[in-house]
Amino acid sequence: MDGAEEPLIRIEGLHYTYQAGTHRAVPALCGIDLTIHAGEYVALLGANGSGKSTLLRHLNALLLPTAGNVWIAGWNTRDATHLRNVRTTVGMVFQVPDSQIVATVVEEDVAFGPENLGIPEDELRQRVDWALSTVRLSELQHRASHLLSAGQKQRLAIAGALAMHPRCLLLDEATAMLDPVGRRQLLETVGHLHQDGMTVVAATHNMAEAALTQRIIVLSEGQLALQGEPRAIFSQIETLRALHLDVPHPTLLARELSARVDGFPADLLTIGELADAVATYLGEPAGAAI
Amino acid sequence: MPMASEFELLGRVTIGQYLPTGSLVHSLDPRAKLLVVLLLIIVVIVSNSLIGLSLLLLAVLAGLAVARIPLRFALAGLRPMLPFLILLALLQVFAIPQYSIGATVIWHRGILTITDRSLLAGILLIARFSIMALGLSLFSFSTTTTELTHGIEHLVRPLQTLRLPAHEFALVVNIAIRFLPILAEETERLMKAQASRGADFGRGRRNFVQRTRLLLPLLVPLFLVSLRRADQLIEAMEARCYLGGKGRTHLIRLQERLPDYVVVAGALGLATGAIYLSRVNADRLLWSWLSSHL
Amino acid sequence: MSRTTRKIVIAGVMGAISIFLGASHLGFIPWLAGAALTIMHVPVIIGAVLEGPWVGLAIGFIFGAFSLLQGAIAPTGPADVWFTNPLVSILPRLLIGPVAWLVYKALKRANEIVALAVAGVAGSLTNTILVLGALGLFRFLPWALIGTIAVTNGLPEAVVAAIITVAVVAAWKRIETGRKGSTV
Repeated sequence: MDGAEEPLIRIEGLHYTYQAGTHRAVPALCGIDLTIHAGEYVALLGANGSGKSTLLRHLNALLLPTAGNVWIAGWNTRDATHLRNVRTTVGMVFQVPDSQIVATVVEEDVAFGPENLGIPEDELRQRVDWALSTVRLSELQHRASHLLSAGQKQRLAIAGALAMHPRCLLLDEATAMLDPVGRRQLLETVGHLHQDGMTVVAATHNMAEAALTQRIIVLSEGQLALQGEPRAIFSQIETLRALHLDVPHPTLLARELSARVDGFPADLLTIGELADAVATYLGEPAGAAI
Repeated sequence: MPMASEFELLGRVTIGQYLPTGSLVHSLDPRAKLLVVLLLIIVVIVSNSLIGLSLLLLAVLAGLAVARIPLRFALAGLRPMLPFLILLALLQVFAIPQYSIGATVIWHRGILTITDRSLLAGILLIARFSIMALGLSLFSFSTTTTELTHGIEHLVRPLQTLRLPAHEFALVVNIAIRFLPILAEETERLMKAQASRGADFGRGRRNFVQRTRLLLPLLVPLFLVSLRRADQLIEAMEARCYLGGKGRTHLIRLQERLPDYVVVAGALGLATGAIYLSRVNADRLLWSWLSSHL
Repeated sequence: MSRTTRKIVIAGVMGAISIFLGASHLGFIPWLAGAALTIMHVPVIIGAVLEGPWVGLAIGFIFGAFSLLQGAIAPTGPADVWFTNPLVSILPRLLIGPVAWLVYKALKRANEIVALAVAGVAGSLTNTILVLGALGLFRFLPWALIGTIAVTNGLPEAVVAAIITVAVVAAWKRIETGRKGSTV
């Protein structure tokens, strides 16, 4: 195969069934085909039980397909000899902040991953310092990990993944348990990483968060239901509602306004876009409002 | 002791009671301190010599002085124990039949008998407990939890070459300490949930059945929540390439220095001495020398 | 999924519960004449039943080492005087897990719930008998008194241990098989 053409993540005919082969078998993923290229920022949407978490766990070989295949940078996740390569290429941040911190001290937790990889001592220190400064936790490096706020714990989890030098970050509802400030800071960190070339796949219930991405993938009952740019996805309000999903509040407001105000755009995603549109409508120069 | 009427548990689940004074004892390598504690425990069990144990007690008191731990802090744990300690010592003196077999009777009235052996047993009980209490207090006043885990991890590491699961054991201890604040938090949440449904965790002694009926709806969910959190931690560790201790490197390196060697060597010398004094029955020799010359 | 990782984490988490029950005093139930029953050994039994004898041994060690430390630096009752001796506080506790696991393994084919209950009783009695046995052997207490304590403390502790073991493990296994993410 041609290395330059190989996508970072390639999924073909992925089926996954919990307790496969028993009378309690529960199908979770039913034939997923998906490609994600290096540098993309992708949101994974879907109601509870639609298969988001199960899909993410296939991307770093925490789960292996019942049928079909997953390739990460060309490595098949079934191939145990490349398990380390797969898991260092794709780092994961989980939902519950406290349950993914292994060490009692901040910097030692960041070191846990690279220690497992056998990174030599001096490089280990460099990686830890770099990862902590990237998520802006450097001054807390000697702090007891349980004393961090939930948002800081999630940034610590990102640093722990970054220290393994991944090419892709998976966020499994990583903002779900954060307060608005913690969520905003986490998304800023993720945004910076993406600008620097990191591939990001984020499962989320937060539509404002999904609106920040480049592509939205909607799962329903273990299958791909919709796929496309946020603007295109969120214009399909009725389809989304049928899938038990919301659209961002600014989009709803814009749609209401466009129905009543002639020429007001209906396909807005963020508060910023909405403010600009209102300002334009009122005859102010865009960006001057607020 | 009554359960806390407030739900604040976090402050009560620390292991030990670190007191930062920046002393030489505080700055010792935790491995050295752990070794000294191990020696202390062994000698306190093995040595029957009051002279030897007195030397040990002096050494511990000297350690407390060097560590600049106020004596009243170190004695705080001991003081409420005094009545029990005296009671248990009296038990040794009067109530253990084995001590009167083949022993010299010193004092006798009615059913009460004191023999040389039972008296010694009573004194030894008090001496041993005092040394352990002061010695371990000194250790916990001068060592943080983090230093403790580092010390354990580094101390057992050589055992790995003997194919013992040393790395695994160190990680178990690390995870146990890591989970304490999580448990405190979860318990607080569960207690609040129970209280909102009418459970009363307030003061007051309850009988066995009442207390058990109050505890079960708290403990069973606490175990289940912990097991679920354990599952999440396992997943997070595997996602970060944890595949056992083989080939792991370490961010933290402990550096032993001259004072560490001096302290361990001193402790070894003292331990050997105290055990030797016990083997040669030094107390009896001293006693007979004193009684023949005075 | 690696079995070793699971064993390490379960041992750590159950060890933490044992320490927590002791440090917070939640694990003590007031009993006759000011004595207290303890349930600090229940995590040892549960860990052993779920993950085997070595995990039980490790949790038992943590339980024992903590009761030694607590006995020395924050003693609350007469038992703490004895627990400063590791032959009383640590050695007997190492066997709680392996005994509970053996009993569970032998009986689980017949009936899972019964196996759990008997494992709880056996693990708890192992603790009672070996700790009290050590107290007698080292002449801390006269044997006559030991027999009494074995009955008044040992039996209710065994009952409570059995109840908690059954409730927790049965519920956990139901959750594990009922939940789709059992193999995570």
